[in-house]
Amino acid sequence: MKRGRYVISALLAVLWMVPLRAQEPGRVRGRVVDDASKQPLAAATVTIGSRSAQTGTDGHFAITVPAGTDSMRVRMLGYAPVVQAVTVEAGQTLVVPDIGMTQQAVGLSEIVVVGYGQQRAGDITGAVKQLSVEDFNPGQIVNPAGLLQDRIAGVEVKENSNAPGSGFAIRIRGATSYTATNDPLYVIDGMPVSTGNLGAAGRDPLNFLNPNDIESMTVLKDASAAAIYGTNAANGVVLITTKSGAAGGRHGSQVEYSTTASMSSITKTPSVLSPTQFRAAVAYDDSLVRATNPTYTGRLGMLGTASTNWMDQITRTGYGTDQNLSLTNAGDGLFYRLSLGYLKSNGIIQGSSTERLSLGLNYDQRLLSDRLDVKLNAKGSRTNDVYQNGGTLGDAVGMAPTQPILDPTTATGYWNWQTGSATANNPLEDLNTTVDKGTTWRSVGNIQADYQLPWIQGLRANMNAGYDVTSVSRQTFNPNNTSQQLHAQHGFLGLNNTSQVNTVFEAYLNYAAPLNVVPGRIDVTGGYSYGQTHGVQPSPGYGYTFQQTNLTSNLFGINGIPTPNLGTVNNGEYIVDSKLISWFGRFNYNLNDRYLVAASVRRDGSSRFGPGNQWGTFPSVSLAWRLSQESFLRSVTQLSDLKLRAGWAKTGNQGFGDYLQYALINSSNGQASYQLGNTVYGTIRPSAVDPNIKWEETNSYNVGLDFGLLNQRVTGTIDWYTKKTTDLIFTVPVASETNFSNYVTTNIGSSRNRGLELALNAVILQGRGNSLGWTAGFTAAHNANTLLSIDPKKSVPLVPVGGVSGGVGTTIQVLEPGAEMYSFYVCRQFYQNGKPVSNKYYYVNGDSTFSGLPNAPDVCDSRGQRPYHSPEPTWNLGYTSNFTFRNFDASFTLRAYLGNYVYNNVASNNGTYQNVSNGGSPTNMSTDVLKTGFTVPRFLSDYYVQDASFLRMDNLTVGYTFHYRGQPMRVFATVTNAFTITGYSGVDPTAGIGGIDNNIYPRSRTVTGGLSVRF
Amino acid sequence: MNLRILKAPAAAAALLFLAVAACTDPTVKPKSTVTEANVFNDPTAYQQLLSRVYSGLAVSGQVGPAGNGDIQGIDEGFSQYLRLYWECEELPTDEAVIGWNDIGLPEMNTMTWTSSSRMVVAMYYRIGVQAVMANDFLRQTTTAALASRGNVSAALKTQIQQWRAEARFLRALSYWHAIDLFGSIPLVTENDPIGGAPPKQVTRDSMYHFVVSELNAIKDSLPTWGAANLGRATQAAAHMLLAELYLNAGVYTGTPNYSGALTEAAAVIATPGLTLDPNWRHLFQADNRTSPEIVFPIESDGVVTQTWGGVTFLAHASCGGSMSASTYGIDYCWGGTRLKLEAFKNYSAGDNRAAFFYASGQTDTVYTIGNFNSGIAAPKFVNVTSGGAAGSNPTFVDTWFPLFRLGEAYLIYAEANLRGGGGSAATALGYVNALRERAYGGVAGDITAGQLDLPFVLAERGRELLWEAHRRTDLVRYGLFTGGSYLWSWKGGQINGVATDAHLNLYPLPATELITNPNLTQNPGY
Repeated sequence: MKRGRYVISALLAVLWMVPLRAQEPGRVRGRVVDDASKQPLAAATVTIGSRSAQTGTDGHFAITVPAGTDSMRVRMLGYAPVVQAVTVEAGQTLVVPDIGMTQQAVGLSEIVVVGYGQQRAGDITGAVKQLSVEDFNPGQIVNPAGLLQDRIAGVEVKENSNAPGSGFAIRIRGATSYTATNDPLYVIDGMPVSTGNLGAAGRDPLNFLNPNDIESMTVLKDASAAAIYGTNAANGVVLITTKSGAAGGRHGSQVEYSTTASMSSITKTPSVLSPTQFRAAVAYDDSLVRATNPTYTGRLGMLGTASTNWMDQITRTGYGTDQNLSLTNAGDGLFYRLSLGYLKSNGIIQGSSTERLSLGLNYDQRLLSDRLDVKLNAKGSRTNDVYQNGGTLGDAVGMAPTQPILDPTTATGYWNWQTGSATANNPLEDLNTTVDKGTTWRSVGNIQADYQLPWIQGLRANMNAGYDVTSVSRQTFNPNNTSQQLHAQHGFLGLNNTSQVNTVFEAYLNYAAPLNVVPGRIDVTGGYSYGQTHGVQPSPGYGYTFQQTNLTSNLFGINGIPTPNLGTVNNGEYIVDSKLISWFGRFNYNLNDRYLVAASVRRDGSSRFGPGNQWGTFPSVSLAWRLSQESFLRSVTQLSDLKLRAGWAKTGNQGFGDYLQYALINSSNGQASYQLGNTVYGTIRPSAVDPNIKWEETNSYNVGLDFGLLNQRVTGTIDWYTKKTTDLIFTVPVASETNFSNYVTTNIGSSRNRGLELALNAVILQGRGNSLGWTAGFTAAHNANTLLSIDPKKSVPLVPVGGVSGGVGTTIQVLEPGAEMYSFYVCRQFYQNGKPVSNKYYYVNGDSTFSGLPNAPDVCDSRGQRPYHSPEPTWNLGYTSNFTFRNFDASFTLRAYLGNYVYNNVASNNGTYQNVSNGGSPTNMSTDVLKTGFTVPRFLSDYYVQDASFLRMDNLTVGYTFHYRGQPMRVFATVTNAFTITGYSGVDPTAGIGGIDNNIYPRSRTVTGGLSVRF
Repeated sequence: MNLRILKAPAAAAALLFLAVAACTDPTVKPKSTVTEANVFNDPTAYQQLLSRVYSGLAVSGQVGPAGNGDIQGIDEGFSQYLRLYWECEELPTDEAVIGWNDIGLPEMNTMTWTSSSRMVVAMYYRIGVQAVMANDFLRQTTTAALASRGNVSAALKTQIQQWRAEARFLRALSYWHAIDLFGSIPLVTENDPIGGAPPKQVTRDSMYHFVVSELNAIKDSLPTWGAANLGRATQAAAHMLLAELYLNAGVYTGTPNYSGALTEAAAVIATPGLTLDPNWRHLFQADNRTSPEIVFPIESDGVVTQTWGGVTFLAHASCGGSMSASTYGIDYCWGGTRLKLEAFKNYSAGDNRAAFFYASGQTDTVYTIGNFNSGIAAPKFVNVTSGGAAGSNPTFVDTWFPLFRLGEAYLIYAEANLRGGGGSAATALGYVNALRERAYGGVAGDITAGQLDLPFVLAERGRELLWEAHRRTDLVRYGLFTGGSYLWSWKGGQINGVATDAHLNLYPLPATELITNPNLTQNPGY
């Protein structure tokens, strides 16, 4: 806490200077026009010093600035920037002549947010892509990541699930790690935020941020761009800049209101047997069992006479709404934006919903003749999540369609198999009697002071102090009288309270040498960062801070238990603290806009690293050569830009658990004690550790080419990269009898990702005036992942992963050196007459089946299992088109995955006749059983690994912009998930991040209508 | 004015420098967990550490019933010591079959395991972890270690001497399992460091002699058998373990020691207070911790000792088909284990030890391993007390596993006598008939001296000790486990049984272990 005091003192020292000087400002007025047509240009940005304004529809602007001489810059998309000097007298208004702008290359002079600063797009030497409001996906989007989907080559935005609020996982250039995170680092307005370890909520930790508050998102794909973030940069970095009062540029206040309403309907549900088909299947299975056991009574008699479509019973039309109100103000040296948002989204499975109330403040004060810029950002939200009962979908698939919904004779009023060994329960009983809900409070904010030091021109000091506070509580309650609970835990109450507080202090100096000091432009940054995290969560292995089974009363539901409490209670709370201390520096050099050099280094000290490895250094170098500026290419007039880039960087990944380097002594809970004599004793167990655990390290190379044709009407980027990750953390076997476990977690493996990315953007029709405008963007990305080794000694030939439903410990994926990570690990099915033959497979060498060999049982085991495809697509394609015609606009995005595979666990687990006779009740089946005729599950057959390549229209939007009483308004309608074309037989070819389709939340088609108005 | 402007940033820069200079140590020590550094600041840690060596046989991790598991590479419930040991000792024999398809299980039914079979691998690691835990207790309680901490009272020091003997018993027990199942494995003691180099393999013979010498060294330091020492390793338990070792010495070392077996069995039998339980069923019921016959148990408790393995597994897995779970005091039938035909046919009419079998809807032959209705169900371990009351928790049973019991000591005496280990043939016959009189509820099942031969003892062991995790060891000792002289259903994977190769008398060392420990040589035939 001593450090905190220093931080506060330093900040106060800066703020103390605030009331120092206030010289009377002056004013500049003028008009911006198209140089050729002399027509006024609306929405051009005029900047003098650090003040900006935007031109109105008549091209006019007015801007208040401190007195003195400064340069005035005018920027507008599609035009070359204009710079001229202006001299403003105190208290006077200067009227400048009309400023003519020439149509020109798009984008090169755009300002791109990078780590610890900004850069001109044309100067960037790495693979960086920035998207702004106008590029974001429209529609009712809960999670910021959704804004990026399909838009950036090499940035895969995957649905975690289709439940409301379950969010997305962003994978930049493929996953590298098994133990540590594969999520990128998110930095919101300069404040790094955590995305992991907030498990209680179960939904995406970024949901707290209202997408409507976001101005731009920059993705640092390539390690040389990201390396300034050192040991958190291996998975790339996403920089989020929120909307501010200054960005709009317009002087004065503005209120913006937008509203959307949405309606989601289910697109596809798992295909199960109808009541008639089910009766036939039961009769068939009865006859099968009787063939070996003549006394078997069969189960046809257990079936009821009802006809219930369980899936219909649990689904609904999901309605949603999103309301946003913001107030922005741009005054003299004071800019702010206040926003209020409310979102409610109901899922298509009953009982699942998310609701967010968000507040945002962005406050920017310029002081000391604009030398000091103090920014305050604070975003906060409360999210209420309601989760559908975990078993609902599986029960809707498995519950016999011949049974009724209600039964007045049971405790809950729902019909159920009255046996503890029922394999499926009435899904409506689960849905309507259990409660599972959570509330997340989260706020991220920072105060940032940027000061232009007076004694050296071009030298700035920047200080940033920020916080990230999260509090999650989740309550789960299963009453003790449901059929399932009567035979199991006898009621369950779980309370999970997790909280986390992160604080960050950062300071850096930046020196951008004026043009006359050295040839070329130099930009140097050096700084320090200190971050600490304090978390309170359930003890390891507990899952809940408080949990109780054997409830003696359902009286209070999730609100507690009446005393005296005679149930079985288990409590566990655990404190996790961590620290990250860093030094960083960056050097940028630009010679004649032709030769660009960038180098950065970061030295990170982390509490997660063992004593010998506490500090890691992460350097990067990148170069760019703007060929189009060379004399030999200047004559090629069609070529407006050509830049060759190359970079190398070393980055780290410390996104794994805390305290791995300490030999912790684990105490037993009350259910793992042991009685000796007449006393029951608790126990302690030391754990097996590697005291030298450290970051996973990625060495990346990137080569890229940026090009622009026809005055940037067509632009494109091609990147090739290869990255090798070493010191991958795996839990590997240690020699037996040498440690407290048979496995220890250590830095041992390596993997490689190689890929190619292509992005093309074209303005096909310019759309000036009343004519049709058409722009199109296309991205393609290929990534090839290979796990190179788990343990060079090969103590672990492979790690089985990807647990599936059915059979304890059955896994169908593998981490095996030489294969892609998370490849499916299955046996090649033997077919006869086009049908898979139950339990007949090929050996790995492929030439003989197991059957017929002496003593070779018909099983799929290591003799037949081999890595076979993976959930990752080999090609990931995106296509976007935008049309404008008069006041109308229309856009759509398409996404295609090629070569991604999904394991259909619904078919493998539910597609067997054994469902009838196994367990205490007959269970309904996937219609897949009609194709295979399997009587027992064959989980490891490659029959269930299916090509899930698809083409999907993720988004289709039509909008109309008009003026009502002089104010701009827009109405629009969006269809998300308009259609999907795929050969995959299950519910959704994007079945979660792991590629296992196990009763996944069904996908919905959502129609959203919206209106936005500004005044 | 200008000076003032300069001063402020200078002050800020100075403060910044101070702030930075103060924050360059990233170390964070764990707060809400105990570490090696502070655990023995509380002297109760010694008792807790010893209890952990015991509970290593009973639970799967530090959070019951599952969580924070001890070993990895296998589902935690499957990883429990007794569950694995039972599967290794029963499934390949003529006694039991399990119907599940979980990876690693089907091959246990048919002797078709490999060095990667999950249950075999996990059993090996369980033994290793158990040895390391016992060693840790011994290392932390040396005279020097205790003296160095300065907070151990004289009374506790005395107490710890007995605990050290108990820890050594538990290490010897697991090493016996290693000798029996795997043959030759590395021997580590408290003198081998944690995290050290891969240990050297020792021969089956030297491990045998180590275990025997350990037991002889500690047996007098152990507490005596009785209610006050419930659950503990007692002197009787040490005698029993020695009897097991000597009985199988021929297999382990090539040199039989039947007289040793007989002597040790006699020592068990002579233990004051230890008597046959008048009610044989009581040995397998939820209140069996009060049985006067159990020499050494592996505990289980519905409240304080929960696991998905152990007797919870045995009670649930043996229930299925048309059986009602509540009859057995449990909430759910898992539908897994049944008798093989030979075990069912081993009983004669009138033998009450077969009275609990469940045949309704079951075939007596195991036609299909995967179908619970195929084979007679044998719900031997139940969660109902001898008084008919249900256990404290229908999911996790209260029933203890009788790892060693007096009944077996009788049979060891009889077998050792028949094999030339001395003693009295009349006493041997008396012991066998005592068991049979309990089984038949009278003298109807008594045998004559002429009927008491080695095959009879093996068959009687099958009847008396059915599903008590002795069968594989017995069949190996009789030379019947592999080869073709005794075929039982599904032996070698065929419904009528086929001859199997002699190398299967030992389980293989895990394939992974051969890589992590280059000192190891695989058992022949694998």
